Amino acid sequence: MTAELPPGLAIQKVDERIMTLNVGPQHPGSGHMRIVVQIDGDYIVACDPDPGYVHRGEEKMAEYRNYITNIPHLERPVIHDSCNVLYPYVLGVEELLGIEVPERAKYVRVICSELNRCIYIMYWLAIYGIFLGHSTMFMWPAGDRELLIDLMEKISGARVTHAHFVPGGVRNDLPPNFEEVCLRQVNYFEKRIKEYAAVFYDNPILISRTQDTGVLSREDAIRLGTTGSVLRASGVNYDLRQKEPYDVYDELDVHSPVMKEGDSYARSKIPWLDMLESCKIIRQALEKMPKSGSVRVKLKPNPKGKGLDSVYKRVESGRGSLGCHIVSDGKVEPYRLKLSVGSFRNLIALPYLLKGEKLGNMPSVYWSLNYWPVEADR
Amino acid sequence: MTNTATGIVRALNSGIKHIATKRFTLRYPEEKLKFVGDGYQFDPSTGVGIAGLKGRHMLFHDHCTGCQLCSIACEGVAEAIAMVKVPEEQKQNKKSIMPQIDYGKCVFCGLCVDACPFYALYMTNDYELSSFSKEGLIYTPAQLAVKPYVEQDSEIVITKNGATHG
Repeated sequence: MTAELPPGLAIQKVDERIMTLNVGPQHPGSGHMRIVVQIDGDYIVACDPDPGYVHRGEEKMAEYRNYITNIPHLERPVIHDSCNVLYPYVLGVEELLGIEVPERAKYVRVICSELNRCIYIMYWLAIYGIFLGHSTMFMWPAGDRELLIDLMEKISGARVTHAHFVPGGVRNDLPPNFEEVCLRQVNYFEKRIKEYAAVFYDNPILISRTQDTGVLSREDAIRLGTTGSVLRASGVNYDLRQKEPYDVYDELDVHSPVMKEGDSYARSKIPWLDMLESCKIIRQALEKMPKSGSVRVKLKPNPKGKGLDSVYKRVESGRGSLGCHIVSDGKVEPYRLKLSVGSFRNLIALPYLLKGEKLGNMPSVYWSLNYWPVEADR
Repeated sequence: MTNTATGIVRALNSGIKHIATKRFTLRYPEEKLKFVGDGYQFDPSTGVGIAGLKGRHMLFHDHCTGCQLCSIACEGVAEAIAMVKVPEEQKQNKKSIMPQIDYGKCVFCGLCVDACPFYALYMTNDYELSSFSKEGLIYTPAQLAVKPYVEQDSEIVITKNGATHG
């Protein structure tokens, strides 16, 4: 019987020294995914990541719903980053319909997007802390997220799945007195995350565990097609907010952080530096935002595209570039919707990074890839 | 890069400082977070919503015409809204049908509120909907007409010694 079996199931002739371990699908990290590792003593010989346990068929579901009712389910892949997941879809539908969004709505979107990026990274950081056995780093980000979740709740009325972006703008205007509250809480948030340096990023225990583990060179990072924080940790300055500014990012000063090392430490530090940058962007956006005006263009009921048309839009999400390809055939539902997500592209680097590492370094390398199983499976 | 000894002392020191900072934890259910406004509402004349919490719905029987637009909006999302016969007679509602919402299915996206052109469906600040049975989660039009009693007054206060819920 020589039937082709998946790599995890195939009977392989192996050296007696080599042991095959299944890590997952259930594990303390967030989301189900399996990593099949082969170890020689304490060293990893080969590694085969096996995603697909939380596949939900989002792309197929989108073909049976109209452009508005697609909104609530399309943000489910990453509920903590729901505004950013919806962003390329909304930009794409706007281009299909040929709508111009009001200026104030664009600024509200940028604020929501940056707040969501911070909320996502804080959750990611909390899990990175607990992966390394650093329980303080689990408690602090999980608590400090509340400052920003409170702001998103004031804007959109929901704590996680906001369903706030719609083609044509945003669902509702900012609540009265929001600028002041936002500035106060974001400033305090920035002060809090700066304290993480002493307890986590400058901590010699973290440095000894993550430095020089899972090094991804600049050439490999580009060749493997990684994106977001993983790419920037390897010394490639590529951020879509700078390179392909969408909405009002071209009017804002964005300096995304870049590090040259390419190891786990750099990959874990880039998201933290990203958050500091996000705080600056939020402050700029609050300052430059028009103080009044419309936030939503009134659409006809059941909007539809003009004949056969396709559009591809991408944004910088918490996990890197997130693209959405919409094909319209002039009906009220999209003909095809394809999401290109950062998580899946970053996972490709995992087998290359883990080869030759110790098994104990696996959690720190795996989670430093900024990988979100649910988003990768879609 | 700091050396090992000072690095560990700095990390410990950073943790010790937290003995003096205020507790940030919200003590639910003794304390409840305050929200802006009375819940998410929508103004069909301008096409823009009014910020507020997306909680349990509220239905105004004297505005509802039984047009089923909320039910149609929910079809692709959660199928939580069913149109049911009501015993009362409203002159704008010839068919005497009104939405009944199953909160076991509702995802609180608020698209039904955006769909209502007659100012009949809003959302309120009530989010405590747990029930011992599945039937208890199905709210009839009569139950939806009741304005919920909510007592929420806790807000995030930022002081010199850290943030707290006050």
